[in-house]
Formats: sequence, C-alpha cells, structure tokens
Amino acid sequence: MTGTVEDMTSTGHTYAVPVSDEQLYEMTAHWLGTGIVAGERVLYFEDNTADAVLERLADDRIRVDAALAEGQLTIISAEQTHAVARAPAAQVEALLIARIDEAAREGWPGIRLGGESSSGLLEAGGAGLIGYEQSLERVLLARPEARVLCMYSRSRFPDEAIKQLTDLHRHEVVQPALYDDTLLRITSIGPTAARLAGEVDHSNRPRIRDLIDATLDRALRSHSAPTDVTLDLSSLRFLDVAGAVGLVHSAEEFPSTHRLVLTGIRPRVLRVLDRCGAPFAAQLVLRPRVDE
Amino acid sequence: MKVQSTRTSVSQGLRHTAAFYSGPFDLFQQLIPLVRAGLERGEPVAVSVRPSTEDALYDRLGNQPGLILLDRPDGPDGGSGQTVATRRARHLRELTTTAGPTTVLTEHSSSLDGVDGSFWTELDAAANVALADLPVNLTCFFPEMPLHLEIVDGARRNHPTLLVGGEVTHNPGHWSPQDVLRERPAPAPVILGPPDLRLTFGAWQLNEVRAMVERALMVAGYGRDRAEDIVLAVNEVATNAVEHGGGEAQLYLWVAGDGTGGDGLVCEVHDGGALNDPLPGLRAPHPSDPRGRGVWIARQLCDSLHIWADARGTHVRLRAGA
Repeated sequence: MTGTVEDMTSTGHTYAVPVSDEQLYEMTAHWLGTGIVAGERVLYFEDNTADAVLERLADDRIRVDAALAEGQLTIISAEQTHAVARAPAAQVEALLIARIDEAAREGWPGIRLGGESSSGLLEAGGAGLIGYEQSLERVLLARPEARVLCMYSRSRFPDEAIKQLTDLHRHEVVQPALYDDTLLRITSIGPTAARLAGEVDHSNRPRIRDLIDATLDRALRSHSAPTDVTLDLSSLRFLDVAGAVGLVHSAEEFPSTHRLVLTGIRPRVLRVLDRCGAPFAAQLVLRPRVDE
Repeated sequence: MKVQSTRTSVSQGLRHTAAFYSGPFDLFQQLIPLVRAGLERGEPVAVSVRPSTEDALYDRLGNQPGLILLDRPDGPDGGSGQTVATRRARHLRELTTTAGPTTVLTEHSSSLDGVDGSFWTELDAAANVALADLPVNLTCFFPEMPLHLEIVDGARRNHPTLLVGGEVTHNPGHWSPQDVLRERPAPAPVILGPPDLRLTFGAWQLNEVRAMVERALMVAGYGRDRAEDIVLAVNEVATNAVEHGGGEAQLYLWVAGDGTGGDGLVCEVHDGGALNDPLPGLRAPHPSDPRGRGVWIARQLCDSLHIWADARGTHVRLRAGA
C-alpha cells in the first residue's frame, strides 16, 4: 500500500525509496518537520546526512535549533546505530521500547522515528540491517503509538537489498516530483507554484524554461488561477549565469497581467540574478531568503 | 526599437591613438600638452606610465587634482594583455560613470615585453573591445625603436588614429581586433608545475567541477561569499569548455604553496574546441543577449583570466585570491 507523508496518520512501519539525495532530504525533513510542528518527540537516525537534512529543515522554516535545544528532536548518528545494531536483538528491542516509554512518560503526545537505515550495516553482512528492521517491526507491534519511516535511497542501497528490506514494512510512502535528475528536483507546491531543490546548470537548464512555460500556460488558461507564477528557491543551492539570464528573459516575455515571483532566494543565487539584470526586469519579483 | 547610429556610438565611445617617441625629451614634448589639455577641459586625466615618467610629470605639473594614476600592468600574470584590459575597463567604467569623458595616457614599458613584445599587441587589441563603449580618449606612447619590432607593428595595427606632430590623424594601417589576434594570437602563459588536482569532465559532471573547486577553497580558508563567486567563475568557464569544445574537458587546480606565489587559487580548463571569438567576455553583453555573459562575469570575479588557443584546443587560466 502506498500513500503520501500526509496520509500517514496510521501507525506502523513505513518506508520510502528516494530516487535522489534531494528527495531523501525532502522526505526526511518533511517527516521530521511534521512531527516537530505537531509537538511530538522526534528521533532522527542519520547516515552522514544530518547536515543536509538540517539545512533542508531550515529551508522549510522549521525551528530546528529550538527543537534540538528543548530535547524534542534527537539526532542518532550512524555510529550509534551501528553500536546498537551489533547488540543482541532482545537488547535492541528493549532499548527502543525504553525510548518510546520515556517519551510517553515525559508527556509527548506522540513519538516518531525516522531517517536512513544505515547503509553501512548492509556492508557489514546484510543480516545486521535485516535483523535490526525485524526488531523494529516487533517493537512497533508492542508499541503501536510509535511511528517509523525508513528511507532506502537508490544511490546507497542495491536494488536487491531494497526489495528484501521493503518486504519487512507495511506501507510505502511516496513523494512525487515533476522532475528529478538527482542534481535538481522540482516539486509542485500549488496550481501555479513549484519548488526547486538542488542545482541548476548546463545539464538541466532547459527544464526550468519548460516548467515556467507550462505553469504560465496553466495560469493563463484558468480564470481562477493566480496571476503569479511562483518558484520557491529556498533549497536551490546553485544557479548558473545562463540559468539566471533565462529566468530574467522568461519574466520579460510574460504578458503584462502576469508576474514571475522567486521566493526564498539564497544569497549565492541572488548575487547571480543581480549580475544578470534581474532587478531591472519589471515582471520579475525577487523575494530573498530572510533568516531568523 | 531604438537603434543607435554608428556615428553616435563612435563619438561617445573609445578614441584610441598611438604616439611614438624618439627619447624621454620627445615623450614629454608630446605628453605634457595632452595632460594640460585634458585638465583644462575639466576632464580627469588618468595615466599609466613608468615610475621615472610619473616623477617627471609631477615635477612639471605639480599636484593636480584631476590627475589620476592607473595601476601599472604587473602582477604574477602581468603578461596577460586581456587581463590588464579587463581591469582597466573596470576602473575606467567607474571613473567615467561619475566623472564623464576621460583622457587616458599610457606608456610602453619593456619590462612587460616578454619574449617577443606581443603582450602589447594583445593588450591594445583587448582594449579596443573592452573599452569600446566608454567615453575615453586613450593615447598609447611607444618608443620608435623598441627591442621587438612586434611592438611597433602591433601599435600600428591596433590604433585607428596616430599622433603626428601634435595632430591626430587617421591610421590607414588599422586592423580590427579580430584580425590583429588572428595574425598574432594571445600567447600561452608561463607553464606551471604539475597541478594539485585534476578532473576530466563532460556536460553532466559540472557539479563535480564545482564540488572540487569549492572543497579546495574551503580547505584554503576562503570566505564563503568569495568561494561561491569563484566557483561560479570556474563553472562558467567549464560550461563554455563542454558547450563549445564538444565533449570532454580537463580541470587543473593549483591550491597553494607550490610556486604559484601565494596569489590564491589557480585553475586551468582545457578543451579540444576552436576559439571563434579570439577574446570572449571582454565586453558586457547586452541584457537581451542570452550568450556570452558567463565569461564576462568570470572575468569580473577573478584577479586574472587568460584565454589562449593552439592546435590542441582552447585553454583558460584563471587566478583568484581570497
């Protein structure tokens, strides 16, 4: 059975198979962030990806520093997971149940665990990770109030291992994209709005043009659609010169009734846009990122 | 659409004149009246001359508020005429934006001749492109009998006008910068030792190029903004290499402390393609032109950027301090 993160109100042991690092960061941050906003206790099992996931949480305007400081969010490193997984199954299960019970005692309305199943465990023989996941499944039968999302990136796990591991889970979580080439990921965030995550360069630049053309077309055909085509650039880490020039040209060619609005622009991307005449394009609106 | 006539743009843009002197006395006889005339018109007069000429100018004229010293063309890549032209264009663009039309006077210095004097040919050809739209009256002084004949030949080809007997006259021997550089291409710079890092890349590995450069800059302690700008510059050069070079290109990096003089990151990009425009990125492209902006921005962001071509392909060396 598949569903999106929002559908995952039911308890259980769920998994996702991101096709790109960008999707991994997006889904992990979404899972953790939803828990933080809901006031739940959140345990994040990382696999040397914490920096990128925390960056993505900041892009998503989640108050992650406060959550860490207040003990709501805890990051469990790959080394810690390895150490635990080497212990006998019964001990692992006892440890996890203790964590869950502790959260309940502290009065958290829920607890969610999420992140990457450590790919390092797979190299150690495979049985380690399978055994660990089986323990997790038994824990969830005993403590159905806890929720778990396991990520198996295509870039980190062989296909065969993914098949074996995902069979241990009840639900798959999906997060569809308009485009994902592993360098750049584009997701829809509204009828005339999209979010770009990653890097735009010579290899994927034409996709931006296609996206804007298609979105503008939708905006023009519907009376009820917004007159702004919005691109959320919060997670865009690089834009090359021709990409910036392309955005400026696109906006200049918009009909006078419509605007191209860029939001959450990082300083690095803003400097490129400034050097390519963006401030002088009448129908281009630049909304730089404001950090708290 | 508004179309500017050629006549208008010529009269507002660069005037580029060559003058020849037989010795120091002759140089002063020609130079001083030009400085005075500029100052009397109320224009700034910017000079780039040898130290002895500079001293003599101040002796004769005293401290004049309108008299400005331009950087002398030197530095670790002082032999890159296109780099000097880029830097001059940047200074003079700022100056003319606030102060209006400007008189610029430069003097040949044999310390920059290199092996054959072609530095000067490259510099003046590049200046014709980089300064084309600036309200600058540039007069370049050359010795009548330089060590290298190339200096006089290049001067006669690059300058549309000549100063003869105090009068500016049309130069029938004038060539376009493209023709000048076809005859005498930009030279290869001094060869460096083996690079610290190498990467072969294609159009789908530009992210690896950026990652390698960014890591090197972070390790070398560059500030975040500066590192990001240098990564952008390298990305644009690398993009051109795979776009025009057809297929694969090579990235070489020299990080620090390896005989490069501690002047920051040195990066070379080599591809197998031919160079259609002999000196790309010297002039700010019009905003409506989707191409050519990348290299122009890269030139603005780097301390030096030298492009040359040979039978093996097109090569770029850039240098960027912290």
